[in-house]
Amino acid sequence: MHTTNQSIIVSGGSRGLGLHLTERLLEAGNKVATFARSHTEAMDRLAGTYGDAFYFTPLDAVDAPGVAAFVAEVADRFGAVDSVVNNAAIGQDQLLMHTDLDTLRGIVDVNVIGPTLLTRAAIKHMILQGGGNICNISSICGSRGYAGLSIYAGSKGYLDAMMRALAREVGEAGIFVNSVAPGFFESEMSSVLLPEQLNTIKRRTPSGSLSNDENIFKVVDLVISGTTNMQGQVVFVDGGITT
Amino acid sequence: MDRSEILNLMNTVMTKRGRPTLTDEAQGTREAGFRSLDFSETALRIETRIGRELSFDAASMRRIETVRDVLDFFEDATRAA
Repeated sequence: MHTTNQSIIVSGGSRGLGLHLTERLLEAGNKVATFARSHTEAMDRLAGTYGDAFYFTPLDAVDAPGVAAFVAEVADRFGAVDSVVNNAAIGQDQLLMHTDLDTLRGIVDVNVIGPTLLTRAAIKHMILQGGGNICNISSICGSRGYAGLSIYAGSKGYLDAMMRALAREVGEAGIFVNSVAPGFFESEMSSVLLPEQLNTIKRRTPSGSLSNDENIFKVVDLVISGTTNMQGQVVFVDGGITT
Repeated sequence: MDRSEILNLMNTVMTKRGRPTLTDEAQGTREAGFRSLDFSETALRIETRIGRELSFDAASMRRIETVRDVLDFFEDATRAA
């Protein structure tokens, strides 16, 4: 483990990859706060196990005053906001021409507006406290083309582009901003793929296997550790499919 | 906010960075070592003090040349509704 004794915000930590990141960061001795639109049983379990080191509140990622209040609450409870992992996202499995406007706006809201609001609120605390780490969970879709993922891909490309600009804006303040870009990994999002599609992806992946939550955690753990001097980079965790 | 309060916050940032405090309003910000990030941190400290966000574009920051300009800028920004 590289990251310990930090105060960390993981967006969308109630299930999936976000839940895995939250649990592993708690295990490593960090304080972790997370939010999601809906409460899950896992949130009760983590509260029971980790007590005051864990904080969950139901929150919509596009509720700007709510997000700012959440970050302030975390800073107050934990004494700082050391790292933010922008994990919350919704997927897509539709050609653009067949995607209705509500779906389009929903993806942009959660995948673009949400992380921007959270990052904006967090860096204000980080500048005043003298540093921090922002890690965006991006995707290989942000830099490679995959049919049926146009809006999702655009949102991930946005995260990478914002990350690079922000690294220039706040790097001097000791804030490190980077992206971790998984390839297709075993998740609720990839569960919409047919078995033959998954097999094709595995066949085209040099490592021969999809990444899993733990692979991604290990890279996130390093990226937010504050020990690498890595700034403004996208780290691909994809078994080599984009090489 | 009055100028002395703003100057105090600017100097809090300068002290944090290990730089000499600002005393001469005519001094250039570059010469004084008051950089753009210091301007931003001062803005955040003012936001905390006044309890509301300040919003301004990068172009207006680029027009600032002296410590006096910074003080004028924040005096105006905090006076506006």
